[in-house]
Amino acid sequence: MPIRIGTEPLRPGKLSRSAPPLIWLGTNTCGGDAVSFLNSLDPGYLDLLRDLADCRYLYLTMTAEGDMATRILDEMLTTLPGKYILVVEGTIPTRSNGLYSVVGMRNGEPLTALQAVRELGTKARYVVAVGTCAAFGGPFAAMPNPSGSLPVQAVLDRQVINVPGCPVNPDWMMGTLVHLIRFGEPELDSFNRPKLFYGETIHNLCQRRHYFDNSLFAKQPGEPWCMYQIGCKGPDTFADCPYRQWNGEHLSWPVKANTPCIGCVNPEFPDGNAPFFEHLPDVRLPGVRVTADRVGALTAAATVLGIGVHLAGSILTGRLAHAFKQTFSGSGARTRLLQNLIQRFSKKR
Amino acid sequence: MRSLLPIIKGKKPRHPLLARLLHWVYAPAVLAGILSGFYLTRPFPSQGFSKVESAQKTHFVAQYLLICSYLARIYQAYFTKDYQEILPGFNDMAGLPRFLQYELFLSQKKPKYKKYNPGQKILFTGLGLLIPLQIITGLALYKPNSLQKTVVLAGGLGPLRKWHYLAGVAVFALSAGHIYFACTHDPNKLKSIFTGYE
Ligand code: HEM
Ligand code: HEM
Ligand code: SF4
Repeated sequence: MPIRIGTEPLRPGKLSRSAPPLIWLGTNTCGGDAVSFLNSLDPGYLDLLRDLADCRYLYLTMTAEGDMATRILDEMLTTLPGKYILVVEGTIPTRSNGLYSVVGMRNGEPLTALQAVRELGTKARYVVAVGTCAAFGGPFAAMPNPSGSLPVQAVLDRQVINVPGCPVNPDWMMGTLVHLIRFGEPELDSFNRPKLFYGETIHNLCQRRHYFDNSLFAKQPGEPWCMYQIGCKGPDTFADCPYRQWNGEHLSWPVKANTPCIGCVNPEFPDGNAPFFEHLPDVRLPGVRVTADRVGALTAAATVLGIGVHLAGSILTGRLAHAFKQTFSGSGARTRLLQNLIQRFSKKR
Repeated sequence: MRSLLPIIKGKKPRHPLLARLLHWVYAPAVLAGILSGFYLTRPFPSQGFSKVESAQKTHFVAQYLLICSYLARIYQAYFTKDYQEILPGFNDMAGLPRFLQYELFLSQKKPKYKKYNPGQKILFTGLGLLIPLQIITGLALYKPNSLQKTVVLAGGLGPLRKWHYLAGVAVFALSAGHIYFACTHDPNKLKSIFTGYE
């Protein structure tokens, strides 16, 4: 009796021999990346299951649970080391020995995400961190980060391929997996992201770029102009949203929907690029948080005030008048120097 | 003998030709960088540029002039060893309270200095340290693809842009202070940055 997902029959045994085993762990995550991934169109999720990978464990969709699920993880370590692809979605909490994220029980003890990712990550063929949390920390490691959450790379001493996004675009993740399966590791940038999807800034690909160049700016969300003045993070964000777009059928993306990009794929997201509706991120000093604009305005005010007060002082004490009188009345440096020379000559004699 | 002539005439040399030429390349470049940079932060039409494109052009031309003149000035400082006149030393720090007393109108006695006073030295050194920060962060903003390693160090393009902006704010404050003092303190010295002699 074939298992059915939706209306498509799943045909076990059709997988090609080269289809590598796949494990998709959910750690501290909202689940958004797995849900987004399920929306992939071509290849779709079913193509992945049928043709591309031997999907052994996907926390969100698998039917196995409890010991049965944990056993799959153990089997990977013992029977298929170096063969499987490990995908991690979410941050790895480190506080209290990682007890803030438990993926199952092993021998009556909680199997923490920290333990699972370290064990499985060491023996995987490839490790992929999907979503901004797994890749860079993201919202689940945002301040004050009570669980001491870290991105995957921080707990593994090996190459981790980062496929960020909040959530990830289905194409970015499916594309990366297909590349790994069919052609091996894709070309990565300095943040270990596949250049295929994160190779250019949104700003350079944006359909509204000519509005930016010509200073035609939206004053509030909903207007059909460049979103720069209401905090668009397109100039700081490497992703292909403007042409790949979202919503399954490649329908739209934030700027097309008249709202600024919030830079969700960025390593600094969200603490380091908030507020989303301001151009520059806030400046954090011990105990205070100020907008960059305010730092600029306060410095400018202090500079003008300082100069003004000193100028007033110089005028009132007569120093300014003295400086100019000295120069233009001939008692300046030239005269002083001549006097010095004469003095020196007369002393020598 | 020719170089002695102006001295005999009572002129005291203060700035060699190369230092003056370079000053008049990097000073306008920094001023153009400030004007266009702050327009790029808040592109409002009242700020002197008709559109982002022209502010960017100005900024990017200024950046090349600044990089070249800065490197040339560092080279000159290294070879002529005139950095000794610019970097504040122990004596300058010790003399800082006396200098501040005079500048804050608490004392009437104007202290005398060999070339630059401690305030100028701190200001020039501050600018000398801020400009490379401006150049490094600016280049990474300019070529974020090829210089992504710098972006990684800053923790992302957002924080990098913030550092470029904050360094720009500091450069603005120091430049404003410098121009104010240069124009009001001693017209002879102001003249010297054009003619070379005070
Ligand atoms: C003292 C000189 C400089 C000052 C005061 C200055 C100031 C600024 C400011 C305030 C911004 C706007 C930042 C923002 O809010 O997005 C900016 C942008 C920028 N600066 Fe500079 N900057 C200076 C020199 C440089 C140099 C030397 C470079 C390159 C080597 C550079 C490259 C850039 C780039 C690429 C941008 C981004 C432009 C854009 O996104 O449209 N700047 N600068
Ligand atoms: C229109 C604006 C400016 C004027 C009128 C001006 C004037 C002067 C004067 C008079 C001096 C010589 C001071 C002395 O001999 O005691 C000087 C030196 C200097 N100025 Fe400016 N300046 C201007 C802009 C700037 C800017 C924007 C910078 C920013 C980087 C700058 C950086 C320097 C430096 C580094 C020196 C030391 C030069 C050396 O020893 O080679 N100036 N300036
Ligand atoms: S809307 Fe955003 S990404 Fe598009 S041009 Fe404006 S600032 Fe750049």
